[in-house]
Amino acid sequence: MRARRSAALYGLGTVLLLLGAFPLFWMLSTSLKPSGEIFATPPRLVPLHPTLENFWRLFADTRFTLFFENSVAVAGATVLLTLSVSALGAYSLTRYTFRGRDTVAGLILLTYMFAPIMIIIPFYILVKQFGLVNTRLALVLSYTTFCLPFCLWLLRAFFQSIPLELEEAALVDGAHRGKAVWYVVLPLALPGLIAAAIFTFILAWNDFLFALVLISSEELKTLPVGVNDLFNATIVDWGLIMAAGVMITLPTVVFFAAVQRYLVQGWTAGGVKG
Amino acid sequence: MRRSALTGWLLLTPSLLLLGGLVVFPILYNVWLSLFNKHAFLPVQQFVGLGHYRYFSTDPEFWASFRHGVVYAGATMVLQIGVGVPAALLLNEAFRGRNLLRGIVLFPYMIPTIVAVILWKWLLNDSYGLVNHLLTTARLSDHAIPWLGPDYIMTSLIVTSVWQFFPFVVVTYLARLQTIPPELYEAATVDGASAWRRFVHVTLPQTASVLFVIVLLRSIWMFTKFDTVWLLAGEGGVSKYVRTLPVYAYARSFTYLQAGMGAALAVIMFVMLLVATAIYFQAFRGEETFA
Repeated sequence: MRARRSAALYGLGTVLLLLGAFPLFWMLSTSLKPSGEIFATPPRLVPLHPTLENFWRLFADTRFTLFFENSVAVAGATVLLTLSVSALGAYSLTRYTFRGRDTVAGLILLTYMFAPIMIIIPFYILVKQFGLVNTRLALVLSYTTFCLPFCLWLLRAFFQSIPLELEEAALVDGAHRGKAVWYVVLPLALPGLIAAAIFTFILAWNDFLFALVLISSEELKTLPVGVNDLFNATIVDWGLIMAAGVMITLPTVVFFAAVQRYLVQGWTAGGVKG
Repeated sequence: MRRSALTGWLLLTPSLLLLGGLVVFPILYNVWLSLFNKHAFLPVQQFVGLGHYRYFSTDPEFWASFRHGVVYAGATMVLQIGVGVPAALLLNEAFRGRNLLRGIVLFPYMIPTIVAVILWKWLLNDSYGLVNHLLTTARLSDHAIPWLGPDYIMTSLIVTSVWQFFPFVVVTYLARLQTIPPELYEAATVDGASAWRRFVHVTLPQTASVLFVIVLLRSIWMFTKFDTVWLLAGEGGVSKYVRTLPVYAYARSFTYLQAGMGAALAVIMFVMLLVATAIYFQAFRGEETFA
């Protein structure tokens, strides 16, 4: 009975593992194959002669490194701005009492329900009127706005769980408010801050629609749009495209592996859109 | 006290400015815009009242997009739950390597859409794709299936989307499973209930409210999904077999440059979601478990 049960668990676990990871493994395997092997029948699971040739070509023949830098700059700035704004807001929502506070918190959550496609048209026209089309600032602002409701609610939950007494003790000891927040509240909310940072980074890193609409200059393109352009060649270069796929996925996987336990915590606290 | 309230508002100001200026105002502006013939780049605009809405009510392209959207959102929602709930039940059991598996299962949801799309385009490639190779080798098909051709593009889109988004169901459902008090299962086991009966009589009622939310969120988010659909099918060729309302709104605004019409489509989508959500809540309101 017990043995049968555990055999069933491992069998189903393997199915789930293949479902989640095999397509990604196949991408990695293809990216490491020389062009002859990519189109071989039958296809080989693991490359016979693994090579980094596709990656070298990606860096040398395409503008991949430029797109990569653009993505890093935009996602990094978005994380900084979102964290600062939402930490201030969440602190206000948990440490100050004022009329309409809970209504405001509810309304903020409501803005989370709007899909990007439903506001991209007026957004584009407004951005154009302010002369911000084709700037990184436009991307950073749009991503910040989209991450804000989630981060505010996530940090609000974390701040609520930090006892007021700790802060008051610091204040009694003569620290002013800013110092008390910096040395007492923020360190205790660190898991929440990390989860919020990762989610924001991933959203900014992955976005396609805003980058497609708001950026037209080749110099400012971010990765998802840049990689999609690789398809516009007459002959689709699968080795090159899979190498690009691996490179875009890498930062996500690394971050994710490093802070997985914070993420699952944050996910349950706020629910994440996608 | 009054100073404290002031500081409270002050700290909240950056958030409110951003959300007000970049979400609330654009949405209102969008409603206004939908009453005009507006070019996407040029400052030309001409009042047409409800003209766009009347146009769409008899526009075959609009109704085709609506039907595609319903099929796409419905099928992907059902399948995401069909894959995600059993996966969550499995990940709630104790076995070695469970935590690692819990992490790996999230990957499809974490990677950029462009990656999900390129790797499924490669897997489903008609001449060199692994899927066709496996199907013909296993003699399940005697010819290469054109997965990205007109007849199969909707199937391929659904497969890609279910793969990409089922982890959301896994994590959300798993989070609720972990909070079910073990005593409930112990009592059921003492009463001699089988695993299936324990699922039906303990797990399902306990998780009904989270399933209610999952169905709602997944349907809304799939109905308004743009990037997966657009990236997989592109703008020409097979795209007309899977074009959903978000893609149609994008095409109207940024391909035909009719921003007013695109804005009207955004308003229509919003109203549709509002009505559907109201009906959904109404339909399940009476039942105690869906609190």
